[in-house]
Amino acid sequence: MRFLRIGGRRLLAAVLVVAVLGLAGGAVSAAEQRFRALSTIGMLGDLVARIVGDAATAETLLGPGVDPHLYKLTRADVRRLMAADIVFYNGLFLEGKMADAMERAASAGRPVLAAAETLPKSYLLAPAEFAGAYDPHVWMDVSGWAQVAEAVRGSLSEFAPERASLFEENARRLQSELERLDTYARTVLSTVPEDKRVLVTAHDAFNYFGRAYGFEVVGIQGISTESEAGLRRIQEIVDLLVERQIPAVFVETTVSDRNVRALIEGAAARGHEVVIGGSLYSDAMGEPGTYEGTYVGMIDHNVTTIARALGGEVPERGMNGELAVARN
Amino acid sequence: MTWMEFMQVDFPALATAILAALICGVLGNFLVLRRQSLMGDAISHAVLPGIVVGFIVAGSRSTLPMMGGAVGAAVLAGVLIELVRRFGQIEPGAAMGVVFTVMFALGVVLLEQAAAHSVDLDADCVLYGQLEDILWFEASGWWSLFDREALSGLPRELTTLAVLALVTFALLGLFYKEIKITTFDAGLASALGIPAQAFHYGLILFVSLAAIASFEAVGSILVIAMLICPAATARLITDRYGAQLMLSGLFGVGSAVFGYVAAGFVPGWFGADWALSSSGMMAVVSGVFFGIALVAGPRYGVLATRVFRAAPVPRPETI
Repeated sequence: MRFLRIGGRRLLAAVLVVAVLGLAGGAVSAAEQRFRALSTIGMLGDLVARIVGDAATAETLLGPGVDPHLYKLTRADVRRLMAADIVFYNGLFLEGKMADAMERAASAGRPVLAAAETLPKSYLLAPAEFAGAYDPHVWMDVSGWAQVAEAVRGSLSEFAPERASLFEENARRLQSELERLDTYARTVLSTVPEDKRVLVTAHDAFNYFGRAYGFEVVGIQGISTESEAGLRRIQEIVDLLVERQIPAVFVETTVSDRNVRALIEGAAARGHEVVIGGSLYSDAMGEPGTYEGTYVGMIDHNVTTIARALGGEVPERGMNGELAVARN
Repeated sequence: MTWMEFMQVDFPALATAILAALICGVLGNFLVLRRQSLMGDAISHAVLPGIVVGFIVAGSRSTLPMMGGAVGAAVLAGVLIELVRRFGQIEPGAAMGVVFTVMFALGVVLLEQAAAHSVDLDADCVLYGQLEDILWFEASGWWSLFDREALSGLPRELTTLAVLALVTFALLGLFYKEIKITTFDAGLASALGIPAQAFHYGLILFVSLAAIASFEAVGSILVIAMLICPAATARLITDRYGAQLMLSGLFGVGSAVFGYVAAGFVPGWFGADWALSSSGMMAVVSGVFFGIALVAGPRYGVLATRVFRAAPVPRPETI
């Protein structure tokens, strides 16, 4: 029984491939069979897609604008999960309830990787109020995400050793692009006047960003979008904005901007004008097919938007000149 | 769809939902008959302080202490509601409202105090489960039901509910008459030497256990709906105690099955590649059953009372 259970899926895949090959009537080499790699969030899906190239179909469960903290699986998602040959999720409680299904799959011996949990504990941030758990938003620091990319590559190579050289080559190209992105972020963000390096956002998704690029990060809500902001919290942040004369605060694509508007009104009542510096991608990327729908584009967008709104020098259309022109 | 997919994805979810609906649906009768229908809702709020205390005691987010805290808080809420109702001489709805809002508020205050702006420690994250997460990876077909090794991989939520269902129905069968008398006439029961109070608190204990085991498996919407809708539907159809219990169980199971099919399969039949939330759909179906009974019920339905007869039949005082 044990043998059947483990071998069943591979066996089925092999039988299917043989059948398809038979139908095609050609002698296609076994190396050309594609496997299915499923990721929960777009940022991971993009890494996986870049690394597997055409060796696999890279799929993403959560589309643009979807909040992974609150998302609940449907039966259709579960079927995709079951059909996938290898599954990647962020972990560190980012995916809320969804992680249960992933853990169950992992404990049943499926190839499942909690990508962010491969980072060393010393790297991870453990906010005091987050009792024993780590902040999951690790993609916000490009150098950290590059480490995650390496772990993803390792796990893919283990799963499909015959394609390891391809993965390695693709990963090398990805790493050099991530390096360039990191350098761009540092350069652009360092043009923001030092006393203005305060990032006020809707929820605490930017702590790794803050640590990597020297910003003080203030989230109105906690780390999960579940918690509600108290009045006192809003008041504290308004004080900070007025005192430091911070010109802009930011909204996020996956979180309601109600609290951010309360800040702006609060500051206006005290004679300090704050604008919405733009909409940042925090827990999900932009529309697929656009530049912002890739990891590089997403970070480029965030970095460029933040630096511009807080008084830094930025190229109008970002690192690669591919950003959609800002509307504000 | 293959046997393997059915057994891995649909069987555990359906079986869990059916068990939860069956237990909650049948226990719901006693809440409806004792005019405490909103007990499920009350419990879903009242568990919060218990979860926080469990967290403080354990110092971590492990499941067991928090579940223990939740059960403790739920039972405490049930007892407090009864005390408030009796000593405050107010109607059960108000007693429940007072107790669960105060307990929930206490939970929020404790939460702020214990873990500052701690985030993932609300009932929604810690306690409430999701039907779609209940998967049985060890299954390879229907024959896995007879394979000891595969059975050992059955989701814990499912086995918990199965054990609870066995105990609940065994006790219901054992004390069938006593429960009936205490439900309808506590005074008579006491006169006959049946400890009505003990039965009442026992009932509260089982409703709490059923609610929490089901919260963990299927989420809060379905539990609250299943504690009310099947029993209320059965109430519209029959005046007989035994039939009422049977029918509510039947409606609970029916809601689970039809709801699951409507959520998971119907969109696919129309070529969609998405699915709906199954526990949400089950609650909707239980509402539809109630709506049908309200309109077309044989004695108390709108058609029967308004269209075919001049005056509604007065309900008998006792069943």
